[in-house]
Amino acid sequence: MKVEIYDYLRRRGALKRRDVLKGMAGAGTLAAFSGVASGIGVRPVWAADNAGLRAEILKIPGVGMGSPTDADWQKVGGMTLGPTRETVAEGEFSGVELTFMGLNNQNLHNFLFRGFLKPWEAYTGATINWIDLAQADYNARLQQSIATGTVDFDIIEMGAPFEGDVLGRGMASEMPAWVAELIDMDDYVGYLKAPVGTWDGKTYRISIDGDCHTFAYRTDYYDNEEFAAAWKAAGNDSAWAPPTTWSEVNAHSKFLVGKTDPLTGLDAHGFLDPLKGWGGFGFYFLEDRATGYAKHPDDPAWLFDPETMKPRVNNPAFVRAIQEVMDLIDAGAYPADQINADPGTTAFQQFLAGTGGALTWWGDVGSNARTSDTSVVGDVVGFDIIPAGDAVWNSRTGAWEEGVNEAPNMAYIGWGVYVMATVDSDSKRQKAAWSAAAHLGGKDLSLWASAYPSGFQPYRNSHFRYEEWEEAGYDRAFVEDYLGSNADSYNHSNAAIEPRIPGIFQYYSVAEDELAKGFAGQYGSAQETADAIAAAWENITDQIGRDNQIKLYKASLGM
Amino acid sequence: MSEPGDLLHVVTADEISDQRRALGRVLVWGSFGLLVATFAVLGLAQADVIGLQLPNWRPALYAFLFWGTCLGISRVLLSGEQGKRSLFILPATLFVVATVIFPLIFALGIAFSNWNLSSLEGRSFNGLDNVRQMWSDPFYWNALGNMVYYTLAILVEYAIAFGLALILASNIRGRRFFRVAFLLPLMLSPVAVSWMIGKSMMEVRFGPLARLARWLGWDRPSFFGDPEIARATIMMMDAWTYIPFMMIMILAGLQAIPREIQEAARVDGAGGWRSFWEVTFPLMLPVSITAILIRVIFKLKLADIIINVTSGGPGGATDSVTSFIFREYRDRSNVGYGTLLAIVYLLLIVIAITVFMKLVDRWMNPRY
Repeated sequence: MKVEIYDYLRRRGALKRRDVLKGMAGAGTLAAFSGVASGIGVRPVWAADNAGLRAEILKIPGVGMGSPTDADWQKVGGMTLGPTRETVAEGEFSGVELTFMGLNNQNLHNFLFRGFLKPWEAYTGATINWIDLAQADYNARLQQSIATGTVDFDIIEMGAPFEGDVLGRGMASEMPAWVAELIDMDDYVGYLKAPVGTWDGKTYRISIDGDCHTFAYRTDYYDNEEFAAAWKAAGNDSAWAPPTTWSEVNAHSKFLVGKTDPLTGLDAHGFLDPLKGWGGFGFYFLEDRATGYAKHPDDPAWLFDPETMKPRVNNPAFVRAIQEVMDLIDAGAYPADQINADPGTTAFQQFLAGTGGALTWWGDVGSNARTSDTSVVGDVVGFDIIPAGDAVWNSRTGAWEEGVNEAPNMAYIGWGVYVMATVDSDSKRQKAAWSAAAHLGGKDLSLWASAYPSGFQPYRNSHFRYEEWEEAGYDRAFVEDYLGSNADSYNHSNAAIEPRIPGIFQYYSVAEDELAKGFAGQYGSAQETADAIAAAWENITDQIGRDNQIKLYKASLGM
Repeated sequence: MSEPGDLLHVVTADEISDQRRALGRVLVWGSFGLLVATFAVLGLAQADVIGLQLPNWRPALYAFLFWGTCLGISRVLLSGEQGKRSLFILPATLFVVATVIFPLIFALGIAFSNWNLSSLEGRSFNGLDNVRQMWSDPFYWNALGNMVYYTLAILVEYAIAFGLALILASNIRGRRFFRVAFLLPLMLSPVAVSWMIGKSMMEVRFGPLARLARWLGWDRPSFFGDPEIARATIMMMDAWTYIPFMMIMILAGLQAIPREIQEAARVDGAGGWRSFWEVTFPLMLPVSITAILIRVIFKLKLADIIINVTSGGPGGATDSVTSFIFREYRDRSNVGYGTLLAIVYLLLIVIAITVFMKLVDRWMNPRY
């Protein structure tokens, strides 16, 4: 769970003492029925639906009882050690030393891992050394380690977009079958199942997080009777309701020009496109507009042609997405200075501060809307999967196919734990590394991580059992609202999953530069802008090595 | 050593034997040979020509330190007292060579390579391909063009800094307070300036500067929406940060001018403007040139404010060479091309600064 949600719940007092006690009593009853005693006497069982243990760990330290500490992380790590006990003898890894490289964002990630793995170290006898990296240093450190052949870590916390760089080079250790069974991978939400985490049919990743873009919109815009009347008066037949397609998004944005925001009394605006780059991450937001048009249900590829690596970014689908942004620029639908607004600005300085009617973002906007002190839209925000295209471009036939096409964008895919191939030469080290990774990606431990401040989002189907959250003391309506749009996106059959090929952020970064020129009017048209991006992408592909990119792209698509 | 002038500075006269000289030569050339051999072995090992597995290039560092030490000893063995004098400068020279010259040579090698960190093939020599790419790269030339605008803005900054320095040099009330107050922007990190001013005070809806602009009649204030305005805004933020630096240098220069000269000018009937233009300004030229030169060097490195506030936009209007190289290198891992751009930029700076100094020298010291 994100820190801010947790803090919000504590501040808001959503959790009364009575609720906590009620939750504890309920959990106690559950525990009694499942034969699991509470407190110290808990017998950690890792059976698939271990409700008793799950209820118990959700009480550490107890929602609303202060932020978890290292002692709590260790306690959780100890209680969820069952799978390790089943597969590793006590002291079996004595003398083994492993190095773990991960992040130190917000004093989470590696800090939690340390606590979770302390009991594992005590039980197995292995020792773990830690390399903590700031987010900003992470990419450079990883790329340099790869390029210079100085892989000085055995286990790594890594985002799926880097799988091309690491798995594609054969630098990771293949997941043993016993690990796959241990962590119950069938429980993963749809898009985290293969081919994500796999390469050439082999599995490498233990997921510990999920990521996707969802659509956030202002409910007060759509409850506003004046807007509804004006919408009808403008000759629109459709209802004044939250948009479900990008055509509607644009129509609403143009309609709102010159209107007054019902909440702030300032100018109303429609959809907020970030028009400035963000170190490559800004391209995800053009993808949001494009996936509905570009991701055909019968074709896993949507950004490149898998046979040639020819970019699809200048096909009619992407050109349409770019054109729609340009149309809104021409219509004056954006706030002033939007050309200088990156995704961080659209989310935190605009939408949460009451500017704009809708945007797409990761789960942070959903959580911050209600939990951030600077948000004014907490009570007037709704969520959905990102809008659909009202036609989809079929790259195989080279023709548009009419009809609504939903394609949620699984932007960044989420963090995972990977074991490096450096351990493969020593079976003891290999088993130790995978055992540690499996402990971190364990089913029950992950429930705790998704419910308490950890930096990770829910990513298993079992994380969306709202009754468990309610039992633990959370406000059910809030949790359902917050998680629902994510769950719908994760399990969508036509989810757009980004290519996990080497240098994917290089493609995004150069696209941002070209888009900035296009949006500033330096290219003659959307097509010209898209062609410039495609040309730059071709250069990157040639530089990295086309044949190899094709091979890796196909492998990442599971083709 | 035999000249009387030299002997005046020598505490003891050295009588160096042939044997000692020979030992000195053996030491310096022997250690140099070892250094070359170490580099050669490491290079061959890395190229898999010989079957030696070495985890890193640390032996080269040890060989370099050994050679440096032997070089120092040999200086004393060969030149006696004179050699001891060179020991004062030798460690610093070797350090500079190790940390500046060597990396520069390696950088040259990288600059003529195709090296994308994501490429499985690693680094490969690609001749002048990077130069050709640079030649046809509109982003680089656009950034260079912007640098001309940014650099020319220094003239305005200089005029403002001079004006402020004259005010602070005069007997105004609260002079000490203003000296500190005017220096405050210089104490701020450009990153802080980016966020405090560029992202907060200029925020179009709530920012106080945007409110002021609206109050003054600008309906939809936008400080970074139009290319020209965005470039001017970046210039102003950068100027606000660094004008105090020029101001403090000029102020120091003003305070060093003897009062008698000013008084003599006044006695001779020079008014305020004439006294400034014909006395103060010429006397301040050496300080001014130094201040401008250092400011130019700072300006050519301009990147942090741009990266934080505009990312080079809109459409590259505010991009600087450094911010472009940052994107090329950090976001795109394009090490070879990024290094070439940096090397070319370094050459351009060296040439431009040299020409500038020559012109200034001719102007200030005319040869009749």
